[in-house]
Amino acid sequence: MDFGSFLAAPEIKVKIVTYRDIFQNKAMIEDRFGEEYKNTSALIKMDSADLKQMSVKKGDTVIVKNSFGNIVVKVEESGYETPHKGIAYMPNSPWSNMLVSDETNGTGVPKFKDIEATVTSAKGAKVTDLEF
Amino acid sequence: MEGNYYVCTGCGLLCDDIEVELEKDAVSKVYTACRVGVAHMKEGSREAVSQVDGKPAEEAAAIEKAAEILKNAKNPLIFGLGTSTNEAQKKAIELAKKLNATLDDTSSFCLGPVVEALLQEKFNTCTLDDVRHKGDVMIFWGADPSDSHPRHLSKFSYFPRGEQKQRGWEEERTAIAIDIRKSHTAKICGSNFFQIPPGGDTEFINALIDGVSGKLPKTSYKFPPKRLLELANILKGAKFGTIFMGLGLLYSLESLDPIIKLVEVLNEKAKGEFHLIPVVGHYNMRGFNENLFAETGYVNCVKFENGEAKHGPEYSTVEALKAKAVDAALIIGSDPLASLPRSIVKNLLDIPIISIDPCETLTSRKAKVYFSTAVTGVECGGSATRMDGVEVKFDPILEAKRPTDEEILTKIMEAL
Ligand code: SF4
Repeated sequence: MDFGSFLAAPEIKVKIVTYRDIFQNKAMIEDRFGEEYKNTSALIKMDSADLKQMSVKKGDTVIVKNSFGNIVVKVEESGYETPHKGIAYMPNSPWSNMLVSDETNGTGVPKFKDIEATVTSAKGAKVTDLEF
Repeated sequence: MEGNYYVCTGCGLLCDDIEVELEKDAVSKVYTACRVGVAHMKEGSREAVSQVDGKPAEEAAAIEKAAEILKNAKNPLIFGLGTSTNEAQKKAIELAKKLNATLDDTSSFCLGPVVEALLQEKFNTCTLDDVRHKGDVMIFWGADPSDSHPRHLSKFSYFPRGEQKQRGWEEERTAIAIDIRKSHTAKICGSNFFQIPPGGDTEFINALIDGVSGKLPKTSYKFPPKRLLELANILKGAKFGTIFMGLGLLYSLESLDPIIKLVEVLNEKAKGEFHLIPVVGHYNMRGFNENLFAETGYVNCVKFENGEAKHGPEYSTVEALKAKAVDAALIIGSDPLASLPRSIVKNLLDIPIISIDPCETLTSRKAKVYFSTAVTGVECGGSATRMDGVEVKFDPILEAKRPTDEEILTKIMEAL
């Protein structure tokens, strides 16, 4: 067994903040089942130090998971000047919604912008398809 | 608006200065709109589609099936309507009454509480035109209109010349962003971007209240008091200030009291007046809130019983689905299978869905009955209420090949 591959692919704990993106909105209107919407939505932006620690680079796929869901998305560096290790950003989309908790404390409001998950390299696995 | 200007229903701004060119019964060119608006206005030239169980069906047969589902349901849910005209929304309220249905829109899990407080006159507000003509200080708080409402800054809040603001943003307007990330809007605000930690909004509001009241502003996350005081001074100097409140701020607050208090304090301490406008996403979410409020006194989350409306979070779409309290769903212009957490919305798959939507969506694909309907402002006219409460009327650009959601709702009601 290749123990090295386990050591080389550490899991990173992140808090995910969701946001909206004009090009993603536009792509959704044009074709929500299309490639462009997938490319602009199934995406996680992380601190470059986190990418390094996972030994992944821009455009690679990663597995983002928690007890509510498990998705494969592309990873990118956020490009923010201020370091934000442990905080990741995802466009608000059906992909990010697969990770949102069902706990609402009876308020009717899910915690869309407050997601905790772990990220690991997906080692080339394909981005999760948009289906139900 | 006079002349050949059309209204874009692509977001809550309802831009009313859009020009188009047509080619072969379709919109081929769109001028003035943003990228989202262009995509939206080119949407509307599709053929009518009615489906039952995923297969094409005559409209009459689909109406019959939809009516049967709703008649057989003990507690149907009617949901969506943020992208429907006022006229269609009123029809849906009537239908909900007739069916003793649970009725809710997306506002129950987005800016509904802010619109409710606004309609209850809990804070001072104004129109976007007021901001264009008079606004000198604007705060984008947990809001990123550069992405969500692309023409917000250029048409209304920051860049344009206004009646009393002839020198515009270069000299006369100050834009401020308060957010947990440097959004595209925050970039425009330059040194007036205040980055706070996730969940840090309530403390920041309280520190700002202290700052404008002459006390030392403190936060547990040690936001530099000097910067907070600089911000307090800008706000105190404002003649016509506006807070544009986005979801980022709302989701971070336990209650609306702190932000309402801040608007109050700013109105006492600032040179001029301060206002708050919720940055509503869907073009007629505020319309739904106002229409339901006029009818029942509530903006969302109601259940009708013999003409009376009961209200509470248990009648929100999310709680009703979680508790499996509803046994059929009529969904108009919304795609909850995409926009709600999968951990909750999966329960929707256990009940029959009727979907009414201009586009094929995840929800329409799982629907027992689906109607493809006209895009408002492109294939049909009507009226809507902009995020600031201004009523906007619009005409169709094209002759529609497909029915409106209002027509489908009317036919379903007649078939009951
Ligand atoms: S800002 Fe909104 S209403 Fe205006 S053109 Fe863009 S999508 Fe349409």
